[in-house]
Amino acid sequence: MSLHLYFGSHDVVVDPRRGLKLRKLCVRERVTPRSRARIASAFAPHEISATKPLTSDGAEASLRILAAAVLPLSLVVALGVGVVLVAMSLLGVRPLAAHAAGRIVLLVGLVALPVLLSVGNLSYGVSESSSTRFCLSCHEMERFGRSLFVDDKQALAAVHYQNRLVPRESTCYTCHKDYALFGDVKAKLNGLRHVWAHYVTGVPEQIKLYQPYPNSNCLHCHDDSRRFLDKEVHRAISSQLYAGSVSCLSCHRIAHDMVKVDAHQFWQAR
Amino acid sequence: MIRSIQKAAVCTGLGLLVQLVAALHWTPFTFIASAVIGLPLILVGGVLFLRAVWKSLKSKPPGQERPGQEAPVQGRP
Repeated sequence: MSLHLYFGSHDVVVDPRRGLKLRKLCVRERVTPRSRARIASAFAPHEISATKPLTSDGAEASLRILAAAVLPLSLVVALGVGVVLVAMSLLGVRPLAAHAAGRIVLLVGLVALPVLLSVGNLSYGVSESSSTRFCLSCHEMERFGRSLFVDDKQALAAVHYQNRLVPRESTCYTCHKDYALFGDVKAKLNGLRHVWAHYVTGVPEQIKLYQPYPNSNCLHCHDDSRRFLDKEVHRAISSQLYAGSVSCLSCHRIAHDMVKVDAHQFWQAR
Repeated sequence: MIRSIQKAAVCTGLGLLVQLVAALHWTPFTFIASAVIGLPLILVGGVLFLRAVWKSLKSKPPGQERPGQEAPVQGRP
């Protein structure tokens, strides 16, 4: 009988017959209830697996944590202080309103500070709504989240995520927002539609894009990249690609490999 | 004026409270609640406060005593 202890990426095996043995583990071997808990705790609420092993287990752990998050402590404390100040102002309205200085205190405590706090809170919230964590916090998106981890070199989402071709903390947003003048606004309005569908009208059985995926989103990054230009086929049809008459997805067909998601075929870091 | 300011404080406090609760449990729903309920409550509180101050300033002609100051009693030096 041997005792297994887990320290980071190493497994210390204490075997009475063979003595103590230190063994480096691959990710698959490390998936145990204990390591699962460790992986789960390793996914900080505000960064999705940027430096952590890419395992299906890790993906599930991250998705579980993604469901509910807390904004940064400084913001929470600032809002708490704001609430306390407003409560104090409420209790001291009478004496404060009697003096000019008190009325200025009321103006700051009841108007200026709360407005500043809520604008700061909302602007942080808007930027946070671009995060992968936020997108995947709706359960309808869980499968799409898992598709970032599949073992498929043809699947665009997985390739971009696993090779860090897009920032991991804003993977969905980076690929699904338009790079036009009002691309951000459009993406946020679409996000509101998603929330409406999630809570009110219901999500359709098959989730589809609102419009065909525009080539400009791909070309925004690949346009002048060597990997793109070195391919003869890209050069041959570049004018059609820029005009949008041929879609990038007509050759690169798999955006999210849902077949492998359902088959639990995930890439394992070794 | 006092009552209006109290109403404004209640509105502002509720707005901040909604935002605080949303910040502690950040999901798409609480984000929307924070934007659609929290922010308007704070803005309503601000408007109520400014309206109360404006009304108070408008109702008192210049030179009249301010709240908290005693009115001069006739016949006394």
